[in-house]
Amino acid sequence: MTGLPPARERAPGKQSVLRLGDHSFPPEQPLIMGIVNRTPDSFYRPGLTWDEEAAMARVAEVIAEGADIVDVGGVPAAPGKPVDAAEEIRRTAGFIAAVRDSYPGVVISVDTWRHEAARAACAAGADLINDSWGGFDERLAEVAAEFGAGLVCAHVGRQQPRTRPFRVSYRDVMADVLARTQQLAEAAVRAGVDPARIVIDPAHDFGKNTWHSLEVTRRLDEMTATGWPVLVSLSNKDFVGETLNQPPEERLAGTLAATAVSAWHGARIFRVHQVLQSRHVVDMVASIKGERPPARAVRGMA
Amino acid sequence: MLVAAAICPSPPLLARELTGADPVVPELRAACADAVRAVLACEPGLVALVGAAPLARRWDSGAELDLSAFAPPLRASRPGSAGNDLPVALGLAGRLLDQAGYRGGRVLYSVAQELTPADCRSLGASLASMGERVALIAMADGSARRTLRAPGYLDERSEPFDAGVEEVIRSGNLDDLMRIDAGLARELMATGRPVWQVLAGAARGRSAAAAVHYRDDPFGVFYLVASLSLAESLSLAGSQEAADD
Repeated sequence: MTGLPPARERAPGKQSVLRLGDHSFPPEQPLIMGIVNRTPDSFYRPGLTWDEEAAMARVAEVIAEGADIVDVGGVPAAPGKPVDAAEEIRRTAGFIAAVRDSYPGVVISVDTWRHEAARAACAAGADLINDSWGGFDERLAEVAAEFGAGLVCAHVGRQQPRTRPFRVSYRDVMADVLARTQQLAEAAVRAGVDPARIVIDPAHDFGKNTWHSLEVTRRLDEMTATGWPVLVSLSNKDFVGETLNQPPEERLAGTLAATAVSAWHGARIFRVHQVLQSRHVVDMVASIKGERPPARAVRGMA
Repeated sequence: MLVAAAICPSPPLLARELTGADPVVPELRAACADAVRAVLACEPGLVALVGAAPLARRWDSGAELDLSAFAPPLRASRPGSAGNDLPVALGLAGRLLDQAGYRGGRVLYSVAQELTPADCRSLGASLASMGERVALIAMADGSARRTLRAPGYLDERSEPFDAGVEEVIRSGNLDDLMRIDAGLARELMATGRPVWQVLAGAARGRSAAAAVHYRDDPFGVFYLVASLSLAESLSLAGSQEAADD
C-alpha cells in the first residue's frame, strides 16, 4: 500500500490504531462487521443472500445501518454439502469485486480458511481475511502479506474446518485462546503481515462448548490486554441459544448482552447479523466508558 | 461610564463540548459572538461580566470554568483547582470575550436571585463607575417555563413576561427593566432578573440603541441575545455622574 504513513510499532499490552484498507481506526472506535453470506445453508436465516442481487441489497442495507466492514463468506461453518475452493471462489470473488466497485470506501472482509479463496478475494478488493478456522491453512498469512491485507487470527481448539466440537475440554480455555491467537498473530507478523492489520478472535462456539464461550466472554479483557485488536463473533450463536434456551431467531437480546460485555472489555470489531441494534449497543457502551460523546446532549443543560 | 452591553443567555449547552457530537444550537453561539463583537467595537476600557449564580460575589478574573461539573469525562482536560469554581454564566461570558480576542481588563460578578432590585441597581451603578468606558456582558436568561417540555413545564405567564423584557430591551429604555417583578421572575424561573436590573443600574437612566441578534426558546427557556450601545453622555450628565460617585 502506498500513500499511507508507516505502520506504528505496536506497543505490547496497549491497543493502538487498527488499519484496514485505507482506513486507520483508533482504539476507542468500535467497528461493526456486517455478515453477508453467499451460501444457501448458513445457520441463521439460511439462503437469505444466496442470490447475488439479494446479497448486494444486503450490503447496501448493512452499510446504511452503520456497518464499517462487510464480511463475505461462501462456505457455512457447519458441516454439510462440500464446497470446494473453486466453488467458494465462484461464490465470493466476483461478488467482492462488485461490492468494491459499488462501495470504494467500505472495508471488505472475506470469511475463508483457504488461501486460494483468500487470494482471489484480495485480488478482487478484499481488505481483511477473516480466517475463522484459525490457521488451518498456514498460507493465509502469506496471502495477507502479499496483498497488504489484514488477518483475523482465531482460536478453534483442535477443530478442523466445518466440524462441530466433540467433547472438548480445556484446563483453562482462556489460557488456550490467548496462547493460540497470539501464536497465530506472531506467525502472521513473521510472514510479513502488517502488525497494525492483525486482529485476534476467541471464536465463540468454535472448538468450545457453551461454558467455554461464556468463560471467554467473561474474561475477554485478558485478550484485549494483549494489545491485539479483538474481534468477537457472537451473533445468534449456539452458546447464546443454549444459555437462554432459544432458537436462532430468538437470540438477539442474548447476542446484544454478550456484545455489551465484550464492548465493555474492549473488543473492537463485532461480527453481526443485526447491524443497527449492534451499532446502538457498542455506541452506548462506548459512551458509558466515556470514549464516545453522546450524539446530542441537551437534557438539564438548557 | 457604561458605553455598551451585550445580553446573552447562559445555558451550559452554550459550551460546545457539552452537547456531544451535535452542535445543537450553533446559531445561538454565533449570535452571542456577534453581540460580544459589537460591544468590543465600542472599544471599552473595562468589561464587567455579570451572571446569575447561587451566591452574589466578585470573582477573580483568573477563575476558571469547570465543565466537568456538567460532564465528568471533561475532568481530565482541567487538572487541579477543585472547588471555588466560576459559575457557569461567568465562565461562558469569559469564553465569549476570549473567543472575541479581548485582552483588556475584566471584572466578574455573580448575582443571586435574593438581590433586591435596589441592590442590583446599585451594583450596576458601581460597575459603570469603574472606568471611563465600561462595557457589560450581561448573562441573563428568560423564563424556563415556556413549553410543556420546558425544564419548568408550562406556565402561561412566561410568554407575556419574556415579551415584556424583550420589548424594553428593544426600546433601549433600560430603566424600565427595574420594573420587572422579582417574585414573578422567580416563579417563572427567569434567572436573568437580577442581571437585567444590574444592566439598568449601569445605564443610569440613559437610553441605548439595541440590536437583537437572537430570540427563541428551542428548549422551552427564553434566550435573548442583544447588543446595546449607549450614547455618549453630555458633559453635564458626565459631571452629574461624577458628583454622584
